Amino acid sequence: MALKDSIKTILQEAELYHGQGLLAEAKEKYQQAQALIEGSEQVKNREKLLEGIHRKIAGIELHDQKVQQTAATSPELSEKARELIKRLFSFSKEESAEAAALEGAIALAKFGQFSSALTEFNKLIRKESHRTVAAKNILRCHIALASEKAAVKQYEEWVESDLFSVKQLESIRVFLEDNIPPEALEKPLSAPAAPAASAEEETAHVEEEFIDISSIGIPFESGPAQGKVIEFDVNFQSGNLLSLIVPQKEGNIIEDLAVGTKINDLQFYSPIAIFNGAGVVSEKSQIKSGPKQGDFCLDIEITST
Amino acid sequence: MAIFNLKKREIECKIVYYGPGRGGKTTNLEYIFKTFRKQITGEMVSINTEGDRTLFFDFLPMGLGKIKGCEVRVQLYTVPGQVQYSSTRKLVLRGVDGLVFVADSLKVRREKNMLSLKDLQKNLKEYGLNIFNVPLVLQYNKRDLGDQGIPIMTVEQMERDLNRQLKVPSFAGSAVNGDRVGETLKECLKLTLKSLHKELKWAQ
Repeated sequence: MALKDSIKTILQEAELYHGQGLLAEAKEKYQQAQALIEGSEQVKNREKLLEGIHRKIAGIELHDQKVQQTAATSPELSEKARELIKRLFSFSKEESAEAAALEGAIALAKFGQFSSALTEFNKLIRKESHRTVAAKNILRCHIALASEKAAVKQYEEWVESDLFSVKQLESIRVFLEDNIPPEALEKPLSAPAAPAASAEEETAHVEEEFIDISSIGIPFESGPAQGKVIEFDVNFQSGNLLSLIVPQKEGNIIEDLAVGTKINDLQFYSPIAIFNGAGVVSEKSQIKSGPKQGDFCLDIEITST
Repeated sequence: MAIFNLKKREIECKIVYYGPGRGGKTTNLEYIFKTFRKQITGEMVSINTEGDRTLFFDFLPMGLGKIKGCEVRVQLYTVPGQVQYSSTRKLVLRGVDGLVFVADSLKVRREKNMLSLKDLQKNLKEYGLNIFNVPLVLQYNKRDLGDQGIPIMTVEQMERDLNRQLKVPSFAGSAVNGDRVGETLKECLKLTLKSLHKELKWAQ
């Protein structure tokens, strides 16, 4: 094929990829054409062609920079989009409006809508049932917004207020310490004014306040899933008690999980963190009727994290 | 996961359009929104940026009327295809009941197709789902570009790349022209409802 025709074909391809938004592919083709033109003095309007190609490549590179910036900081969405996210990504509407509101707020945070999520969590913090989870998510949002100082300030305000119990504050303090960069702490966080919790109280504390866990990874040491970690969605959570629904066809996987079985190295997936822990199977039954008939209900009590 | 209200006999299920970036997922939904107006029960919402690149997801609610005595509603979603939005894809995929994988027929996108399918498999696995068990349909999109002299893969090549093991229904089409968009969706719905019927046993 004559050089001129080759260049023309390559440029046509580049233009099409450009029009399709396939910018990496377009850039590659432009560069290919550029190399061909630069390698030959015979090409008509050589300088003009090269100038045009150079502009196209520069345009693509500028676009790439913008995309990278967008990826780094999620743009703030419209009110309508945020309401949609809250509605579509809360799965507990049937069970509890508050649980659904919490899931909606967490979904906003997951989509990078931290300012809006903060507003929602600040409403939820007034509800006793979700106070601590909301508080931790508030701090998490501040940290995600690169406002570690705001997170620390918020925590100190809570210490001064009487909104939280001592146990709740301690849980929040530990959470903040674990999640904030050390250099952001000018001085140690204020500890709630109370004696250190005893082991028994710590256990009770684990039972009462627990971050929202959306799914759990269970390592299997026997059975068909031996050596694997299988993730199950949490159907319902009450404190440190997680209820899972395991489809009937996967019943053989959990065959060896009897009531009382202790499981170490559990993986807990929450909206804002993944963490490990241990638990014990507290209940296991097969559903006798309804749409989930035949499926298994498995309750796991978290004993440590 | 489908929401099944036994008392009201209503089922709501979720179909997700997955695939590499710029492959035509949003174009599929736009065509469906334009063409199947009777079944559309709400607005199509696209959360995108830079004009046409999906940043978070697209959403389109549909109503299919009564099937086996149950009012069936479907929510169609697309995911952002670019590699860097992996966590968003996983989030949107939660609770999926059926999938349409939109593959790009352009030769230069061959590897992206395969990586995206692998990404889908990985995300499904993290939800305890097996790609071989989830209702899934493949669409080989952008077939029209072959007529413009742009190098595209043959359907046979795409079948070998993407469907050799899955062996699911596939449709070669063009979302921008609407070719086989409806058929792709119908087949996915058929498979999804069949699976849900088996799971929920909702027959009258």
